[in-house]
Amino acid sequence: MARIEFQASLDSLEATLQEQGSVVLRALRGAVNVLDSQDTELCDEVVAFDDEIDSRYHRIEKAVEELLAQQSPVATDLRLVLAILHDSIHLERIGDQCVTIAKLTKLASELEPHHALVEGLTEMGERAVEMVRIALDSFSARDIVRARGLVELDELIDRTNRRVSDQVLSMASTPGTQEWGMRMIVVSRCIERIGDNAVDIGEQTAFLVTGEFHEFTDASH
Amino acid sequence: MTTPRIDSGKLGQLAATPDGRGAETVFTVKDLSVTYSGNLALNDVTLDIQKNFVTAFIGPSGCGKSTFIRCFNRMNDLVPGAAVNGEVLYHDRDLYGANVDPVEVRRRIGMVFQKPNPFPKSIYDNIAFGPRILKMTKDMDERVEQSLRHAALWDEVKDRLKENALGLSGGQQQRLCIARALAVEPDVILMDEPASALDPISTSRIEDLIHELKTEYTIVIVTHNMQQAARVADMTAFFSVELREDGSGRHGVLVEYDQTTKVFTNPGDKRTEDYVTGRFG
Repeated sequence: MARIEFQASLDSLEATLQEQGSVVLRALRGAVNVLDSQDTELCDEVVAFDDEIDSRYHRIEKAVEELLAQQSPVATDLRLVLAILHDSIHLERIGDQCVTIAKLTKLASELEPHHALVEGLTEMGERAVEMVRIALDSFSARDIVRARGLVELDELIDRTNRRVSDQVLSMASTPGTQEWGMRMIVVSRCIERIGDNAVDIGEQTAFLVTGEFHEFTDASH
Repeated sequence: MTTPRIDSGKLGQLAATPDGRGAETVFTVKDLSVTYSGNLALNDVTLDIQKNFVTAFIGPSGCGKSTFIRCFNRMNDLVPGAAVNGEVLYHDRDLYGANVDPVEVRRRIGMVFQKPNPFPKSIYDNIAFGPRILKMTKDMDERVEQSLRHAALWDEVKDRLKENALGLSGGQQQRLCIARALAVEPDVILMDEPASALDPISTSRIEDLIHELKTEYTIVIVTHNMQQAARVADMTAFFSVELREDGSGRHGVLVEYDQTTKVFTNPGDKRTEDYVTGRFG
């Protein structure tokens, strides 16, 4: 094996991505947890996690810049570097969604929740956690089949998102529930976006392995 | 391992650029093998070279890429014991046909070597030498100026054309050699590692020059510098070394020939991948 230093840099870059993924998963689990528990301290912790996520994203961005400048990667190496940069951005965005979920949940913590809706949101959140975990694992294992499976899971989240939206609309006429409902519709949208970001990571896995980039689904989905 | 059959004519057409470069074929190589004193150096190469394309040959030492480029202007004729088998068509004419004059071949298919090799004469005479031999003596001053302009050297040497060419820097000498090749109105320019002896600034001048020249000429370049191939070439051919199963030695083979962007982003053959990513050996 030639280019030992270069390979070590690539390995380290990928390890930082997985580390960023672990922090994102912790933030996401926290964000899902507060939906039901309304734990405002945990909400603050989730918000604070975002700095950890961002610092890893910046570390990855810097390392990618240096690798491109110094090592001129090509072929699989180039695709790996590009895919890691994309994945890191997707993870960073998932972190931002977690912040929004935590902030909105905190704001709504004084309001009366709608239990059936909380159940739906929690179900979506748990699926999103599973999707991010699968996205990270399948990238690590270069497993395209598993990465493609994310599309089906995303469908389930999308479906629940639509159901939540319908429920909030039906709540519109009930006095005292509108504010909570409005905030939760944004939370639902955030979780739905996390599912999309997980699919985006899956697409990068396919790009890394096949060398060709294709969206797993078109925009109509 | 066998050499893949590559339909490079089709590839070239696919790769043809919007400005029309690459639409025609200049060389058609079929089943080409080269031996030196009976020892196989390059085995069974089939590919096409497209007009106005820069085509790069890359590969490790001993893979036959320099041997191969020398087949395009019959330079191997000058190597004792060298034998070329197979077919090289140049604009559909057999380059090795009995009635083909190797001197005319080398006028139309010029060559620039790794080490700049100007004659120990004036800058002017270096350029005028080839045309004089070929009796292309009309408007010689203009021919010299145009050649130097095409090689991006005119502004640097126009006030000292009578000075000895050996007083030029390495990069200038190499551009002089390119100007010398251009002076006899070639169709194709072969470059065998033209920048490997030059500093980075001179190298980038040569690369800029290659980009300019491709609009008028077809360029084939052998380079050890993979990034150079990535920067300048439309098509890239990767050659590798193959050990003979009977243990009688090793020879070069063509592994992969494709658009340069493909070779450097998603090569089709594991051997190419290992080489371009530096995992070779």
